[in-house]
Amino acid sequence: MAIMTSFMWKNYFRHTTKEKEITTVLKENILFQDLTGRQLKFVSKIVHLRKYHSSEIIFRQGEAGVGMYIVVSGAVSIKLEDSSAAPGSEKNEIVIVSMSPGDFFGELTLVEESGKRSAAAVADEETTLIGFFKPDLLKIIERNPTTGIKISLRLGEVLGRRLKETNERVSKLEEKLERYRLKK
Amino acid sequence: MRKIGIVKKELYVKSFAVISILALFLLIVITVENILVSFVMAFVINYILAPVVNAVERTGVSRKITVSGLFLIITVLFGMGLYVLFPILIEQLSSFRDELPKFVEGITKFIAATEQKFNFALSSFYKIDVSSKVASGLSGFSNRIFEDLPALISSSIAVLILAPFFAFFMLLDGQMITKKLLSLVPNNFFELALNLQHRMNAQLGDFIRARLLEAAIVGFVVWAGLEIIDFPYAALLGIFAGLTNLIPYIGPVIGAIPAILIALIHGISGFGFLILIIVYLIGQLIDAFFIIPLVVAKIVDLHPVFVVITIIIGAQAGGILGMIISIPVVCMLKLTVQTIYDQLVEFHT
Repeated sequence: MAIMTSFMWKNYFRHTTKEKEITTVLKENILFQDLTGRQLKFVSKIVHLRKYHSSEIIFRQGEAGVGMYIVVSGAVSIKLEDSSAAPGSEKNEIVIVSMSPGDFFGELTLVEESGKRSAAAVADEETTLIGFFKPDLLKIIERNPTTGIKISLRLGEVLGRRLKETNERVSKLEEKLERYRLKK
Repeated sequence: MRKIGIVKKELYVKSFAVISILALFLLIVITVENILVSFVMAFVINYILAPVVNAVERTGVSRKITVSGLFLIITVLFGMGLYVLFPILIEQLSSFRDELPKFVEGITKFIAATEQKFNFALSSFYKIDVSSKVASGLSGFSNRIFEDLPALISSSIAVLILAPFFAFFMLLDGQMITKKLLSLVPNNFFELALNLQHRMNAQLGDFIRARLLEAAIVGFVVWAGLEIIDFPYAALLGIFAGLTNLIPYIGPVIGAIPAILIALIHGISGFGFLILIIVYLIGQLIDAFFIIPLVVAKIVDLHPVFVVITIIIGAQAGGILGMIISIPVVCMLKLTVQTIYDQLVEFHT
């Protein structure tokens, strides 16, 4: 299960970043990499810097979500509830991927009407995150459309890439399933 | 275990800080004289000008220059408007002051004559006696209205200075202040609070802009109509009709009462009276068939009984101004509670 879903959360755009200023972290993130210095400064005034203690829950699986997080420092685990656990038994959580500085997660909720978190996120140590949410994206589009379009296009690219990876994965699984059926 | 304790302690401290700041702000706004009205007006100005500021900002002009420039233009326009309108309003007010005793006498006579007719019809069954009470009440009111005027004007001037001052900083630094306040919200509630603030802000903005546009159009139609039929105090009556139109259901009726009384006192009856009623009806028809469906689609509906109770409470708390702002304030509260409820349900299902 963990192997199957981790690709969904894998950061294909990873940059090795240490704790830096918000603008520097943003500049290294694929969503904001096309922005000019002035546009980055504008966005940095809108995004939110949040600090989490070790073991603190960032969001829960199934909870409504309105945006994404970028890891500035620390580490975050993305966890899924183990659906294979026996009914009535205590639900276990499986770590599907660990996020390090520069990684980002939760971007799908930026475009969903009422998005639900498909997994939980927990801080593994003292962690600092940049929160970028739907209201922030709408605010950027309203006040500075050029910046908004650049971010939206990159967001489309990220989501498209995730979809492509998912399709490839599903195709491979279907092939495996077909082979398994034929063998039977 | 210790780490969970730290997280919980931080949650309580942050929650306490946010609630304390909001409570202190509310306490200051409610208790300090003129601050509540100034803040309500500043919010209204903020919501009217925010789309304009954003539109100019989109062209690449900095927000600071946009807001400063806009306020400079508005100050000049307001000054010019005051220069043109002030003599008209002063003339109409002084004329109203001169004619007020005549109005009081006319209303008293009208009520006395109606009372006489009723008493004649009721014969010996029952005797109505309200004209003497109305006469003393009206004469007291007519004396008070101009005695209270200087205090009202000085209070209005304070609001006229404070409201744009607050609005200026709301437009310039409002987002920064909101972000600072949101940074105090505990992590567990952060996304909920951010989304709630965004939705409330958008809905309140739409609501306030729509209601004000509606009031302005109705006021203008009444003003223009009264000018066309050459009715006295057209400007004052138009402004009054626009303002009272902010009160649902009974607002348009209250807005027409002064004109009806003036018409009765001036002896306007028959066709002239019908035309006057038609002017007010046209205002309401335009409102009902064009403005409400096209512009005010997002207005919060309140039950008529609730509206009347709210208006009574508003009248007791703040007189005519209380009546006007009571419904918008209650609509905002309803919207806030509804949004919080929806959001909480959405976040927990």
